[in-house]
This record gives sequence, structure tokens and C-alpha cells, in this order.
Amino acid sequence: MKNKNMVILNGSPRKKGTSYSFSLTIKKLVEERGSKAEIVHIIDYYDGNKDLKDLGSLISACDIVGLVCPYYVDTLPSPVIWLFEKIRSEFAETIKGKGFFAVSQNGFPDISLFKAILGTCRCFSESVGMNWLGGLAYGGGAIINGKLMEDLGKKGAKITSGFKAAVNDILEGKCISHEAQELLTVKVPKIAYRPFAAILNHMSRSTAKKMGAKDIYRKVYLED
Amino acid sequence: MKIVILDGTEQENCYEKILKDMFADDNQFSYFKLKDMSIQPCRSCGACGIKSPGKCIINDEIHPIMKAFAKGEIIVFMTPVRFGGYSSQLKKAIDRFMPLGMPLYMVKGGHLLHPMRYGSKHIIGIGIIEENIPNQEDNFKELVSKNALNMSSTYEVLLLNPQDSVEKAVNELKVLLKEQNRI
Ligand SMILES: Cc1cc2nc3c(=O)[nH]c(=O)nc-3n(C[C@H](O)[C@H](O)[C@H](O)COP(=O)(O)O)c2cc1C
Repeated sequence: MKNKNMVILNGSPRKKGTSYSFSLTIKKLVEERGSKAEIVHIIDYYDGNKDLKDLGSLISACDIVGLVCPYYVDTLPSPVIWLFEKIRSEFAETIKGKGFFAVSQNGFPDISLFKAILGTCRCFSESVGMNWLGGLAYGGGAIINGKLMEDLGKKGAKITSGFKAAVNDILEGKCISHEAQELLTVKVPKIAYRPFAAILNHMSRSTAKKMGAKDIYRKVYLED
Repeated sequence: MKIVILDGTEQENCYEKILKDMFADDNQFSYFKLKDMSIQPCRSCGACGIKSPGKCIINDEIHPIMKAFAKGEIIVFMTPVRFGGYSSQLKKAIDRFMPLGMPLYMVKGGHLLHPMRYGSKHIIGIGIIEENIPNQEDNFKELVSKNALNMSSTYEVLLLNPQDSVEKAVNELKVLLKEQNRI
């Protein structure tokens, strides 16, 4: 198998968040297989701190593009959609036929919610003529809060094994297997949701108290 | 009925005029043309949860939208169907809706959700089809339905095809809004 070049797009405005730590793991796994990977932060281009043309050149020169991004209100964060729009209008000719995959993660341990966000990544891929290699969902990335997989013990090892299976498929030009998704899926029985919500509420209320927040129910936008 | 329209389209189109004409005499109607508004992306700073409960600390043009949303009963998301979802113009506003939820959790319909600060709304997703991508319509419907679940709201979806006549679009919009006794 020929060595490949991958560009990993971090779709979070947080440069040290969970999307970034997932990106780092994927980069390491790609490099272990003798291929190359580079991580870029979409927010730098959105904010104009980096030149979009440079990203266009980077993408044009690679074999595979991967998006790793948080789930914002059921779909992609706006800067990611902005980049997709820009790629379609400015770089579509140069990225045809390249591989594209997406990884998304959110706050709650429920991957049944990811159909629309990963569907949008597939639609983008088809719209610009890239080769859709599939998507992965991780429910509960907020709890990881940017920690490295190496520091997460068994949990980190399991996530890494899921990404390893995916990277093997991707570098071979195959669609990501169900096995990779299985390894990434956190199985929390629905019956545990209520006690889990009660714990989270207790934590929120005590943080609010500690921080001196007077009224977390405040309806600020009805006040004047 | 208080209606809030978030228009995430970028190109000139007939739908803006149609909607504005429909509600010309209605003083409970707010229309936001997002491409002309300065709204930054959410930076995920988390301040709207506890530090500044319910208020986004970025000082830009999102705040009139939040005020209208808080009072609104019907919220219209109008957008080109962009890769089976919303345009970046529409999404830049929706990403800033975090303060509309409370920093608390509840379980509803088997899902963990944030309770809504301003109660339940009726969301109407209007998608203007701009290209032909397999399954994009179903993806758009899925997205609007998940937004409604996320915001503890009811919803409807209307997909408009620019090849169809303007009269057809007007009729469909009228039927949708009349069904709800909204015009
Ligand atoms: C604007 C915004 C919207 C979000 N919407 C959702 C949501 O609808 N559902 C959910 O489970 N998590 C949601 N989250 C939580 C993020 O997906 C989650 O915290 C994620 O782990 C952040 O990734 P990052 O560390 O890479 O930024 C949202 C976060 C933000 C800032």
C-alpha cells in the first residue's frame, strides 16, 4: 500500500478540546502506518488569521481529508459549513476524487442523534465529487473535555482501538467498518439517564453556588 | 401569534418578499436577514451557562434575535438546503442559541436534554433546494426534527423547489401557516 498524505480539519473553535485530542490520536495512528497527517484548525481560516488559499493548496496536495468536529445543535458548527461552502466554490476542481471522512462527538452518550450531521458530511462529499469513506460518532465527548486518549486509561484505549480500525480502512481506501463504530460506541442504558441527569443537575447547581451565580433560571432576554 | 423569521439565504430570492408581504400588517412579526448581520460564531466559552446565566457575552447583533426568540411562538428557519442541512449564515445564529437552554438536564422521549428557558416553540424549517444530492431532503427533515427535539418544540418542514412556480410556493406557505391559524 502506498503511503498517503492526510489533512485533518479540527472543526471546533476550541484548539485544545476533544475534537483536537481525537485528531491527535488519528494523526499518530496514521503516522504509525508510515503515512503523513497534518492537523489544521478551521477557526484560524474563518477568523482570517490564516490564508484560505494556503488551506486550498494543502488540501489539493493531499490524498485524504478528515473532519473531526463537535456536534453543535444537531449539525456542524457554522465555521465548518462555511469552509464546506468555500471549498465548493473555490477549490472543487482540485479535490475531486480525494477521500473524505468525518468524526463527530457531542455532549450526551447517544449516537442515534448523529444521522443528520454525518449525512451532511456525506452530502458535501458527493456535492464536490470526493470519495465518501464514512463517518464515526462518539457520544460523550464533553466529558473527555480535551484530555488525551493516553491519559484516559481503558476508556482511551477503547477509543483508540476504534480509531485504529477506522484508520486501517481509510488508508486502504475502504469505507469505515461497523467494527470501528462499535468500538467507539459508549453503551449507556436509557434507564440510567434519569439518575445521570440528577447527578449533572446537582453538579451544575453546586458550581453555580460556588461561582456566586444568583439565578440560573434567569430570563434575560425578556427583561427589557 | 409572534413569528420570528431567520433568513439564512445569500442570493436574491422571491421568498423574502412573499413572507414579508404575508405579514405586512402584523406587528408581531420579526424578520432577520442574517447575511446582513454581524454575528460571530459561538466560541464555546461556556459563559452563558453559569458565569452569565442565559446571556451570551459576545456583544454583537445576535441579541435582538434572542429577544425575538424569547417572545416568539413560531420560529422559521429559512435556508438553502446546503449539503442536506443549513447554510453557514443560518447556522451562525443557531449556534448562538446555547443560552436559550438552561445549564440543567432532563430526560424526555428517551433523550437527555437541556430544559428550554423560554418554553416550547413551533419550528418551521423552510429549505430551498439548490442542487441535486441523493437523500438531501430526508437529511434536511431529520435535522429540523432533531432541532425540534433539542428545543422541546413542535415542527414542520417545507421544501421549495425553485423550478416550481412562485404561486405554488405562496400557496404552500399559506397552507402551512393557515393550518396553524397563523395568518
Ligand atoms: C454551540 C454549541 C452547541 C452544542 N450543541 C450540542 C447538542 O445539540 N447536543 C449535544 O449533545 N452537545 C452539544 N454541544 C456540546 C459539544 O458537542 C461537546 O461539548 C463537544 O465535546 C465539544 O467538543 P470540543 O471540545 O472539540 O469543542 C454543543 C456545544 C456548543 C458550544
